Amino acid sequence: MKVTRRDLLVWSAGAAAGLLVTPVPWKLLDDTSIWSQNWPWIPQPARGPVEVKMSACTLCPNGCGMKVKTAAGWPVGVAGVSSHPISRGALCPLGFGAHQLNWHPQRLRVVRHGANPSTWIEARIAFAKACSEGPVVVIDGYPGRAASSVLQSFSRRRDGGYRVVLGLETRALAPYEAWSGVPASALGYDLENAKTIVSIGAPLLDGWGPPGRFTRLWAERAAGNADPQLRLIQVEPSLSRTAGRAWRWVPVPAGAESALAAGVARVLLEEHMVSARGPMPPLTLAEAVAQTGLTADAIRDLARKVVARTPAVVIGNDDNPAIAALNVVLGATGSRGIVRRSKRAEPYVSADAAIPGARAIIVDASVPWNFSPQTDAEVFRFAAWDGGSSRADWLLPAPGFLEDLTDVPTAPTFAFETYAVAPGLVKAPHEVQSAAQFLASIDSTLATAEKNIHSRCEDLFRGRAGTLRGQEDTPVAKFASIQKLEEQLWKGAVWVGEAPHPVTLRCELKEWPSTVPSAHPENWSTTWQAPVLPPLATKLYRESNLREAPEKRTA
Amino acid sequence: MSARYGMVIDLDRCTGCGSCMMACAAENNVPSLPQATARTGLTPMLVRKVSNGMEGIARRETFIPILCMHCEHDTPCVKVCPQQAVEVDKATGIVMQMPQRCLGCRYCMTACPYHARYFNWWDPTWPAGMEKSLNPGVASRMRGVVEKCNMCHARLHSAKEKAAASGKREIDLADYVPACVEACPTGAIRFGNLADKNDPASQESRSPDAFRLLARIGTEPKVYYKSKEAWVRALAESSSGPSLKVAPEVQHG
Repeated sequence: MKVTRRDLLVWSAGAAAGLLVTPVPWKLLDDTSIWSQNWPWIPQPARGPVEVKMSACTLCPNGCGMKVKTAAGWPVGVAGVSSHPISRGALCPLGFGAHQLNWHPQRLRVVRHGANPSTWIEARIAFAKACSEGPVVVIDGYPGRAASSVLQSFSRRRDGGYRVVLGLETRALAPYEAWSGVPASALGYDLENAKTIVSIGAPLLDGWGPPGRFTRLWAERAAGNADPQLRLIQVEPSLSRTAGRAWRWVPVPAGAESALAAGVARVLLEEHMVSARGPMPPLTLAEAVAQTGLTADAIRDLARKVVARTPAVVIGNDDNPAIAALNVVLGATGSRGIVRRSKRAEPYVSADAAIPGARAIIVDASVPWNFSPQTDAEVFRFAAWDGGSSRADWLLPAPGFLEDLTDVPTAPTFAFETYAVAPGLVKAPHEVQSAAQFLASIDSTLATAEKNIHSRCEDLFRGRAGTLRGQEDTPVAKFASIQKLEEQLWKGAVWVGEAPHPVTLRCELKEWPSTVPSAHPENWSTTWQAPVLPPLATKLYRESNLREAPEKRTA
Repeated sequence: MSARYGMVIDLDRCTGCGSCMMACAAENNVPSLPQATARTGLTPMLVRKVSNGMEGIARRETFIPILCMHCEHDTPCVKVCPQQAVEVDKATGIVMQMPQRCLGCRYCMTACPYHARYFNWWDPTWPAGMEKSLNPGVASRMRGVVEKCNMCHARLHSAKEKAAASGKREIDLADYVPACVEACPTGAIRFGNLADKNDPASQESRSPDAFRLLARIGTEPKVYYKSKEAWVRALAESSSGPSLKVAPEVQHG
């Protein structure tokens, strides 16, 4: 058969038309689109066994329980632990991006001396020289840990001092320490039994205390109710997140918080709404009206609302004695309100004051980055990230997020004693070490943090008090061995102590304290310790109107 | 029986903390690109602050999480997609976006009345080493495609695998919780099967305080909101849409 040009054209056209009804061109198109999205420069997640491990967030002293999902050994996601007695399944927004912090571009990986790169050997030589020449002061931002014991022991042996940078929540408890003799670190707020909470500038719904504690309480007992079980009254100059969600928002100018506290106390005492437990404030109601911009009726109304449902407690945002005195007038110290949670705590010396006479100062990585000691001594600062503008002589790279075994003592503001362990889930790079490891390498007679954690577990076991709360609650007395107890703590269980004894906190207040201006509440950074934010948090600043960017905050 | 997965977001409980946004971005491997802005960034879950427009003591503000509404009826993005890259999954009711099919024409973004779709203007990048922290259940998407909330489909897959491993055909809803729902510290976001009348989310969606955004256009979203505040409910039918009624200022200090 002769093949003509016409046959060839017909066959070609038929083949082209037939091809369209086969899957071939469509499959090719599909595959092209898939291939075009799998270019080698597009990062793909690591492959490997997926596991879920328990630990605790160590970015701030609240120590929220954390479930960490790992793939091929790397943390790839975090979530809260619903059975955790402090955080109750919640994390702060920053916690959800914390697993990415170890790869932050500002991660410190080399020792720095001034602006120049240096080595651990040189840092060790410089520190040993400083130790031989004078006292060494150690500054801690997260006291009560096993690592803190190492820091404390070292400073004691070197005739230096152990100073602490406390968060605003703990500083707000300082007046009670002065009036009762009980250290502020042993005090907490009994929020769970309160029916009225007056917050004077404290961002209760925005970073105050463990994120799951008050937000959960508020959600269960107050949110969306016109007449809630838990009345939250927020005193604040502007409509903040907490003010916007409070049962009542009382706007007063910044700096007038003490005057309002004095005005409310005067009304309570003059109108006999409380049994007289404190001195009459020197400020008259008219003066309080002038300073706060509220009417006398508004202040009287606020006083009535405070005592309408008790127990009531007033929470300030910083060390403001007038706000603390209002609690004394209300009788909100001792059995309800401000409670003593621990008998063992020791008073700390604040690092805020000038530090004279020291030859060197060690600043632990837990100290907030914006803190600078007032000193002429040589400063050795540990940090996992470089937040910029450091005034330290030596910047020493410390372990990052979950790279180091640590323990979690009681969260500030919590009404019960607690204890947990946060196992390190990631192998730390070889070039980093913590302040406790550094000091233990200088003085080999110091107990390491790991040994201190073990001895604390032994203490809990021997004490036979409290309960271990995890997937199920187990009284400590039921544990047959210390190993079993430690094993549970390593798996994310939390030891919770027994209820505080009410009569162990008595505040003696002879005269109304002098007025001091309160610190302005900070946005989202009340307890944030790390010098940098997770990249996803900075994304949130840039791409929504939800939060103020850090550069605007510090400007 | 097919499910209709949906959410009820109680706006009176939302404190605008942003945990849902962070958890969503971490779960879905959304990159933090320094060049991205509010117009060009990817925020499958975006919490917006809105106000009643008053000043002083009369001012009220609330936060509205905006995500894909997973429209049930006449789904606008499905209708306009020339590539069949968007479809409503009949088994779950989830509006699925398939980046592999997407050619980036952005018709769907124009069609979406809720502004809940985002275009990848850049290839995803992370600081060196940070790719190790990516969720292995979710592939990263390249530039030139549209993406949006898919109700954490990777978690649905995991729940299905778990159910299959134990010989069940239906998933246990306790195993399928989207990241934003899990992260919310006040429990403001309730997730469930709206087709199941006994499901708590389904019951809440029928409460008198529940509403849907732009309900009048008839797309039947599967994301419901709840508020006792009349001014908040009124925003839902605002002609400019709630996503545009945003308080201009950022959070008070």
